[in-house]
Amino acid sequence: MFGCSLLRRAAAVARAWQGLEVLRARRRPLHTSPQCPAFAKELFLGNLELKGIFPFPEVSQDELNEINQFVGPVEKFFTEEVDSRKIDQEGKIPVDTLEKLKSLGLFGMQVPEEYGGLGLSNTMYARLGEIISMDGSISVTLAAHQAIGLKGIILVGSEEQKAKYLPKLASGEHIAAFCLTEPASGSDAASIQTRATLSEDKKHFVLNGSKVWITNGALASIFTVFAKTEVVDSDGSTKDKITAFIVERGFGGITNGKPEDKLGIRGSNTCEVHFENTKVPVENVLGEVGGGFKVAMNILNSGRFSMGTIVAGMLKKLIELTTEYACTRKQFNRNLSEFGLIQEKFALMAQKAYVMESMAYLTAGMLDQPGFPDCSIEAAMVKVFSSEAAWQCVSEALQILGGSGYMKDYPYERMLRDSRILLIFEGTNEILRMYIALTGLQHAGRILTSRINELKRGNVITVMETIGRRLRDSLGRAVDLGLTGNPGFVHPSLGDSAVKLEENVYYFGRTVETLLLRFGKTIVEEQLVLKRVANILINLYGMTAVLSRASRSIRIGLQNHDHEVLLANMFCVEAYFQNLFSLSQLDKYAPENLDEQIKKVSQQILEKRAYVCAHPLDRTS
Amino acid sequence: MSWVLARGLSRGWGSICWDTLSGSHFSQVTPQAPWSLHYSTVNHKDEAWLVPQPSEPQRKPIRVLTPHEELFRPSPDGERDKASFVGAVQNFRQYSVHKRGHVDFIYLALRKMQEFGVERDLAVYNLLLDVFPKEVFRPRNVFQRIFVHYPRQQECGIAVLEQMERHGIMPNKDTEFLLIQIFGYKSYPMLKFLRMKLWLTRFKNINPYPIPRDLPQDPVDLAKLGLRHMEPDLSAKVTVYQMALPSDTPGAEDPTQPHIVGIQSPEQQATLAHHNPSRPVFVEGPFSLWLRNKCVYYYILRADLPPPEEKKVEEIPEEWNLYYPMKLDLDYARGNWDNYEFDIDKVTEGPIFAMCMAGAHDQGTLIKWIQGLQETNPALAQIPVVFRLARSPGELLTSSGLEGPSPLQAPPQGQEDDHPLQPLQQQGQSGVSGA
Repeated sequence: MFGCSLLRRAAAVARAWQGLEVLRARRRPLHTSPQCPAFAKELFLGNLELKGIFPFPEVSQDELNEINQFVGPVEKFFTEEVDSRKIDQEGKIPVDTLEKLKSLGLFGMQVPEEYGGLGLSNTMYARLGEIISMDGSISVTLAAHQAIGLKGIILVGSEEQKAKYLPKLASGEHIAAFCLTEPASGSDAASIQTRATLSEDKKHFVLNGSKVWITNGALASIFTVFAKTEVVDSDGSTKDKITAFIVERGFGGITNGKPEDKLGIRGSNTCEVHFENTKVPVENVLGEVGGGFKVAMNILNSGRFSMGTIVAGMLKKLIELTTEYACTRKQFNRNLSEFGLIQEKFALMAQKAYVMESMAYLTAGMLDQPGFPDCSIEAAMVKVFSSEAAWQCVSEALQILGGSGYMKDYPYERMLRDSRILLIFEGTNEILRMYIALTGLQHAGRILTSRINELKRGNVITVMETIGRRLRDSLGRAVDLGLTGNPGFVHPSLGDSAVKLEENVYYFGRTVETLLLRFGKTIVEEQLVLKRVANILINLYGMTAVLSRASRSIRIGLQNHDHEVLLANMFCVEAYFQNLFSLSQLDKYAPENLDEQIKKVSQQILEKRAYVCAHPLDRTS
Repeated sequence: MSWVLARGLSRGWGSICWDTLSGSHFSQVTPQAPWSLHYSTVNHKDEAWLVPQPSEPQRKPIRVLTPHEELFRPSPDGERDKASFVGAVQNFRQYSVHKRGHVDFIYLALRKMQEFGVERDLAVYNLLLDVFPKEVFRPRNVFQRIFVHYPRQQECGIAVLEQMERHGIMPNKDTEFLLIQIFGYKSYPMLKFLRMKLWLTRFKNINPYPIPRDLPQDPVDLAKLGLRHMEPDLSAKVTVYQMALPSDTPGAEDPTQPHIVGIQSPEQQATLAHHNPSRPVFVEGPFSLWLRNKCVYYYILRADLPPPEEKKVEEIPEEWNLYYPMKLDLDYARGNWDNYEFDIDKVTEGPIFAMCMAGAHDQGTLIKWIQGLQETNPALAQIPVVFRLARSPGELLTSSGLEGPSPLQAPPQGQEDDHPLQPLQQQGQSGVSGA
């Protein structure tokens, strides 16, 4: 009997050891590969991966001088020569403004220098974004051109393609557009209808189909087009797969619809683009035939981080405008600035701007590290946070201004309209939240596989260990992930916030494990859960970014670093409590968790396709 | 009358109420006809539609002229509306100052209400209650209160409230005031009133799929309503494949062109498009649908459940969502603790592709429906269609005798052709004759 149990235990230990080995084997490539600081992914395991985050990424003095030289003229141009109001009213950017933008080199910011571009790093590109943001229409036009339009050529184009197209695109002689969306296909790649068929001589593809909501559709002469092609699989069967093409307007058969009338960014050109028997030479296939899906994903994932600085630039400008108003407008013999409710709004705007700036530059810095790190989750988080903050802050700014904010005489209503698109394009925030949560859960789920399987199988050691850990957690556990200490990564004046972050990270890791145990791979269907996971993660990333940035500012003695400490601590406390709330919501049967009711209500409404309640004035008798 | 009292006493309040109600049956019976105690169809004609009566052979009741009948005679101009009804009631009150025979009058008036089209008018019910003399029937001492005081009058009052209930009329403050004035607080009509106040409000909206009170008269509109009523998908499209020709249309070769109205949802259309053409689809019916007191008949186009080997496993294509993964590459599934689904045994049935209602119940009409469907469902042309029509809608024939005369909704009179039903000619399929 005794011997038997001993044997069993030995087997269990061996199994656990095996699991550990597997775990280690799986982890190794993560750490050894030059890729991936993978900060966000590690958060899902309750770890803080500090490499690349602390200290806050810096640029060298030379680079800084270079970019400052460049920023000056661009800023001057935008403040003096760009008339945003006129652009908005007329619905187009004047030709001379476009010409000036081209001569400043703004059409080729990220094109390598050997192809005639500026060859800016991601950080520099983000810095310029701050200034370009002064006009929404221009920044969208530029972003559509280089963040997505020509990005494909830079990322996967062949040498010939780069040499042929990039110089003219960088100079702005040609404008690029990104043609993915179709009437029946938003994020659903399977329903793309545009088709490219290989001609009989196998020299070109014939392209047919329509694309909608194409920014720069009427201006562009180079299009990155995604279309279905027949691809012969390895097993000999033919399959429809997506292929990316570089299409010149000169190939013929390209027509545009009329420009769309939009709510905001009215100066940018958006229209339908139709392809009718457009002959595309086979050399113009971008990447591989049938590899278009990955190309599209890479392009979309790479462009997002810059929204953080674009919005931050806009918010800084907005703060200048509204403080001016609040300090001069008098009511009851007091300036507006003396009222607490107005002051609160400024604090909010400053805090949001500070956080998104920190997140965006941290991400840009991570992207600039050697070895093409994968920061798509981080970039998506920056996009979600900054777009939502933009909408909230512009709305609060309008509130400060009262009636004048609503009038067309002032720029605020235009900013409100312009900022609304941020939540929608480049992947709606809802979709990006799914991306953030699912990508991280996939990572965590793979690493935790053996552990979860053992828990499910009821392995005594694992179960006891888990229960023990839960017990220790519930008795109050001081989490130390190495942020504080002497000398710590975080400056002592931010110590409390750092402890809060560590606590959040640790319990987030525990919660993720529980979620995976509960839902397994079916968690894909639990969108309300995923939303909360994404929200927590965004907050954690924001907290890390501000802690890192503020610590650096204190240590190198930047101007007004005490203000930064205030903002950082403020954000961390708010985010901490938000996270605690979300974490408790993620517990099963937590009273805060209203998922069941939410689903029921919406089901009833959707079944009737109307508001269900009776009118309050209705009677039964 | 005394047995009602005795039984009422032996049970409680609640059951008394019912007893007094059933008592109301024979309170209307004239002394000359004691044998038609419970089945006096003359008297109960307007209540009969609610409960299907057993069709046991009845003795022909002796038709007696009820008193006050002459008050409700049609006036010279033949108008039968609220004004003339109210006039009749006023006449009674003038004619009989001492309210003699008011109970008989009220029963008569209740029966006449439908003829005058005032059965849904609360004011008229209140007017009827007002006919009762006030304060006379109120119990004045404890013994009167214990025993049913003036039972005949109380039953009559309950009968008024009963009829209101049947038509879904909610009593109001005036009703309450009148009842208190007539019968007092502790009386059975008052009890009935309180119960109505409580329950009618709760039951009024209990049907999640309400039917309009006044059904459309036009059979096409009625068919549209019925089809919409059955189809849960709001994006389903109703199509009128054929309008009924007026019978006096000159030059029409087939003078009896019936209407055909069909409904199909986009989802059904898609399912039909993916149907395996080697398997037949069936037109089945007629099935009955009751809309208030009208019965309509519908047909369905359905198929058998495809065999399991034909079922396509819906797999998630690899390159589907441009933005986020549609499935996680994990090898563990949902824990049992988080399975919120109840354990339900589901009987899987074959798909239904479309429904229709037609003015005639023969195969020719339904073939026209299928032809109409083929325009929007090109796949249907390749699929053999088998008609499985029931000869007659069975038991519905008997129950339909109870409803009011509605020639348009007359149940199918069986198939005209006696030989086994043949499938559509153009498909050239061998047919299966139905039940």
